[in-house]
Amino acid sequence: MLGSSSLEAIPRLDRRTDLSREAAAMLAVLSVSLLGTFVLFLLNDLLAVVPLVAFLAAVGYGWVTQQDVTARVLSLIATASTIAILGLITVFIFYRAVPAFRLMGARLFGFTDPVTVLGVSLPAVETFWSTGSNTYSLVPMIWGTLVTTAIAMVIAGPLGIAGALFLAEIAPPMVREVVKPGVEILAGIPSIVYGYLGFVTLNTFLFEHLRMSNLGSLFLVGLVIGLMALPTVVSVADDALTSVPASMRDGSAAMGATEWQTTKSITLPAALSGVSAAVLLGIGRAIGETMAATVIIGHSQQLPQPLADVFASTETLTSLIASQYGNADGGHMSALFAAGVVLFVTVLVLSIGARRVELRMERKLGGEP
Amino acid sequence: MSGEYASTLVTDEATLGERVASTTIGLGLLVFVLSVLAVARVVTEEASVLGIGLYDFLAGGLLAMGLGVGVVGVGSALGRVATTPDETPGTVTAGAFGLIAAAVVWLSTAQIGAFGPLGGVPAGLLAGAVTFVGLGLLPEDLGSTLPTVAVAVAVSGAVLTNLLTPAWLWDPEWLSAGFSGSMTIPVLLAVAALLTAWAGAKAYGGYGSEGRQAGAYLLVALNALGMLAVLLAIILFIVTKGVAPAFEGFSLSPFDWPFVLNGYSFRPDVVNGVFPAIVGTIYLVVGATLTGVPVAVAAAVFLTEYAEQGPFVGAVEIATNGLWSTPSVVYGLFGYAFLVPRLGGTTSLLSGMLVLGFMLMPLCLITSREAIKAVPDEYRDASAALGVSQWETVKSVVVPAAMPGIVTGVILGVGRIAGETAPILLVMSGGLRDDAPNVLGSFEFTSAPPFVANDALLQSSPALPYQLYATITSGVSAENAVEYGWGTAFVLLVVVLSFYAVGIATRMYFRRRLNYE
Repeated sequence: MLGSSSLEAIPRLDRRTDLSREAAAMLAVLSVSLLGTFVLFLLNDLLAVVPLVAFLAAVGYGWVTQQDVTARVLSLIATASTIAILGLITVFIFYRAVPAFRLMGARLFGFTDPVTVLGVSLPAVETFWSTGSNTYSLVPMIWGTLVTTAIAMVIAGPLGIAGALFLAEIAPPMVREVVKPGVEILAGIPSIVYGYLGFVTLNTFLFEHLRMSNLGSLFLVGLVIGLMALPTVVSVADDALTSVPASMRDGSAAMGATEWQTTKSITLPAALSGVSAAVLLGIGRAIGETMAATVIIGHSQQLPQPLADVFASTETLTSLIASQYGNADGGHMSALFAAGVVLFVTVLVLSIGARRVELRMERKLGGEP
Repeated sequence: MSGEYASTLVTDEATLGERVASTTIGLGLLVFVLSVLAVARVVTEEASVLGIGLYDFLAGGLLAMGLGVGVVGVGSALGRVATTPDETPGTVTAGAFGLIAAAVVWLSTAQIGAFGPLGGVPAGLLAGAVTFVGLGLLPEDLGSTLPTVAVAVAVSGAVLTNLLTPAWLWDPEWLSAGFSGSMTIPVLLAVAALLTAWAGAKAYGGYGSEGRQAGAYLLVALNALGMLAVLLAIILFIVTKGVAPAFEGFSLSPFDWPFVLNGYSFRPDVVNGVFPAIVGTIYLVVGATLTGVPVAVAAAVFLTEYAEQGPFVGAVEIATNGLWSTPSVVYGLFGYAFLVPRLGGTTSLLSGMLVLGFMLMPLCLITSREAIKAVPDEYRDASAALGVSQWETVKSVVVPAAMPGIVTGVILGVGRIAGETAPILLVMSGGLRDDAPNVLGSFEFTSAPPFVANDALLQSSPALPYQLYATITSGVSAENAVEYGWGTAFVLLVVVLSFYAVGIATRMYFRRRLNYE
């Protein structure tokens, strides 16, 4: 689990600090007791408390007698537990989703009409989502998540980047000093507050003025999530833009380019990695946004008819989980975990992709002195 | 800033073209703001300006703007107005108008209903392409003026000739919404005013690169202003709705604040309050901080001070990024599947603390690492030169120097988790109640493992964000449920935003102090 470098680190540790017999014994107690605690906790045994007490005692003893070794080991344990927690999340979400995959198979992503993709036809489902007949197809929720995210990014992407350009390139220092922290504070408005606003006020507003046939449309959810993601995108993209070295801008200005030409052709391309990371971060937020969607959306597990109807009410993956976990068990619960798996994997792929883009661009730009 | 690079050397007085263009921009801003207010129904078509109906007034303004832009553009093409236009209007301008043409043709065919919702797409694409190429053949002053004038004249003409009236309705069968004239007209007016003001700004800058800069800056600044206005309006809206219920029965002497100090008693004669939820939120935050922060800081120390940069650090970085981007509802699912069965089998305060602690970890890890990395190596070298062990250096030099950054990260992270609802929805879900959870007073020792019992920790507890959700899902049967919800939203907003404000203020304070040293 710890990888090869940390195994090499132990003898190095030994060599440097001249590990005494006492310290070695303490380390042994430490690791055995921690492992015991973890295994017993995993097995859901209350006796996990016993090795936990032993662990704490060993830590206390070590802290008094061998502080440097204990500190190093404790920090290593902390690092390992970060990996362990991600591992546990992954394992448990997948583990609980397995029954749904068994029950539905490929029909977890099945349509009511058989669809053929590249010569392979997906088996059809009779209804998309029915707890009565134990049928759970995630297609409407995936569509809902896709549409709301797209609407949110149409709002937060361009407007957010333009806002960051204003802060980083145009705004006078006085304005920037006030607006930048203000934007960061706005990013902290809890999603449930947006949800309450959307539920109480915006839902009825749109219902009256757009003559909707239903409350809680994908359009409104996308709008609210886009507004929520906006400050995050602005703040991160602004950080990326301001980190472009001033010498690059000066070079452009010395060539007689206008400020806007400099921004457009020098600063923005140079900061592109950071800016796209900001947008990807916003997309991740939008996909995972739960409360605003749960509170506003109309909760019908069907595809809109026709698909282009963004004013229909459907369901998103997150709102499905939040609204149905309460009275779910067996296959139904497992299907909710399958929705969690889809969410988790999508966002994880997005975030790792964003990190990759960033690293590659950093290497590219970092080549210059 | 913009003065530094301005290339116009002789600016004795504004030329006629500049004066017309700047009037156009000013008029455009007025029309735009009023149109947006009309979309939000703050002002409606019943209002009248200078004795003229609102929409007619706005359309008149748009028409004047269109004519102003047209005069400057044509004047420039004829050489009467001194400008420096490029040979083409550029891809952005041509593309924008191409898109408009495509949308207009597509929507008109959809409106006629001849080809269904998507049947008009090829015709729309064709119109867009023709516009795009056609504009590319014109010089910049005409290419960015003529289509603007066309849009302005078409929109204002449709309104002024009553082709579009507030009673007009487009209700396509393939959408669950219908677009009435009273909503469509202000949207069209706002878009057209923005376009015309953009063209006006380009004319004001005399076209060419200066003109494009003026146009772009107008749009970017307007966007920033509009964004701030909307977000501030949201906060103000919540405050105005929430202050009255939150301060009901408030008195300074003797001090009494029922909404904050009372529980939810289901009695009509007592002001229902959020005290248990506030206490629950405090316990949640304290528990999450105790769970998440030490682990995160220790991991940050190990990764920056001890570990060799290799595959292990890479794995931790992927794990951190994964944890950081994992949707909060997935944390909730994890807690529901893993923690809840192991902590008594019911939703509990302890599960909530642990799940929020796990959420806090990646943020604190990332910010602490940045802070520790930012400590100059000279500090470490100086300490090592004194013959101090590595741990002593970390303990008494590196960590204290990185403390401001770590503290800021913790405060910002705490602000974030204090408002989280989705995870505690699944693992804690405490409803409305009259008494606050008493965690400190309910510790007991037992003879069977785990030897320590705390009922309050293993029970659900109310928290502000969940309480707001409970209000929505009609956990409140009283008639003033909506006011109660606004009050809760207000208190939650104050709690969370003050965490953020303190965090950001701390960061600015330390940054400033570092810079001036």
